[in-house]
Amino acid sequence: MRIEKCYFCSGPVYPGHGVMFVRNDCKSFRFCRSKCHKNFKKKRNPRKTRWTKAFRKASGKELTVDNCLEFEKRRNIPVKYSREMWEKTVEAMKRVEEIKRKRQARFIMNRLKKGKELEKEEAINEVKKNIHLIKAPHAGKAKQLEDKMVQKLQEDVEMGEEDI
Amino acid sequence: MGKSKQTGNHKSDKKKNISKTWKTKRRTKDLDQIHCDMRPDTAAKLLHQDLDYDVTGCAQHYCLHCARYFVDMKALKDHFKSKVHKKRLKQLREEPYSQAEAERAAGMGSYVAPRAVEVKTQPLDEDMD
Repeated sequence: MRIEKCYFCSGPVYPGHGVMFVRNDCKSFRFCRSKCHKNFKKKRNPRKTRWTKAFRKASGKELTVDNCLEFEKRRNIPVKYSREMWEKTVEAMKRVEEIKRKRQARFIMNRLKKGKELEKEEAINEVKKNIHLIKAPHAGKAKQLEDKMVQKLQEDVEMGEEDI
Repeated sequence: MGKSKQTGNHKSDKKKNISKTWKTKRRTKDLDQIHCDMRPDTAAKLLHQDLDYDVTGCAQHYCLHCARYFVDMKALKDHFKSKVHKKRLKQLREEPYSQAEAERAAGMGSYVAPRAVEVKTQPLDEDMD
């Protein structure tokens, strides 16, 4: 028994589910549900259909190159059953899955960080452009005027002293 | 997916019943099949077919990339200038999608970017005779 992958969306195809289409050149295509089958019949390109795994990988939405992706494979050699090995394999699978999940989540979080940066930049730019809407025309000038007054007074005092 | 780019099919009977065109009975060649056809030996076979009176134009004017027969040389030449043909060439410029790629996308191996394939309209001089 083998859990196949859907040709169109790359989802798992469990035994007894989905459809297999055999083309007249003997090539077989498995589909997980009628949605994928219909899209195939319409000759849509899975790389360009936004909801498929192929699209998400091709456009860099998900983790694409990593060692944790190399464990799951189509192994065509039968292995003799041994309880110990079976237990170890299951243990390893769980661990690999855990690591994989963590890395994929981290990748997506890192990818989303860029958007936040851009958002911030844009906000700063907007404020800079439209500063006249926020700032009152004489805001911040009160202190300048005060400074000027003080200076003038001092000058006057100095002048007076000189006169005497 | 954006808006459909199809225009000018208002009166065309061909596209009236689209569900029929998607039936397996009327299935046309897929892109990966055409990539197989583009190999020199099969291409030569397809471009120099024997007279077959059941096929359009007696199977003498075949467009390799669109997998279509044409009535005569002029129709074929006009087709080469058309949007449909150019669009098809563009689609063929990428390595075809395969089950292996679907499996890689599902987490069985790392992503491998599709190779670019050079595709040109078939040379006409060979068919001239």
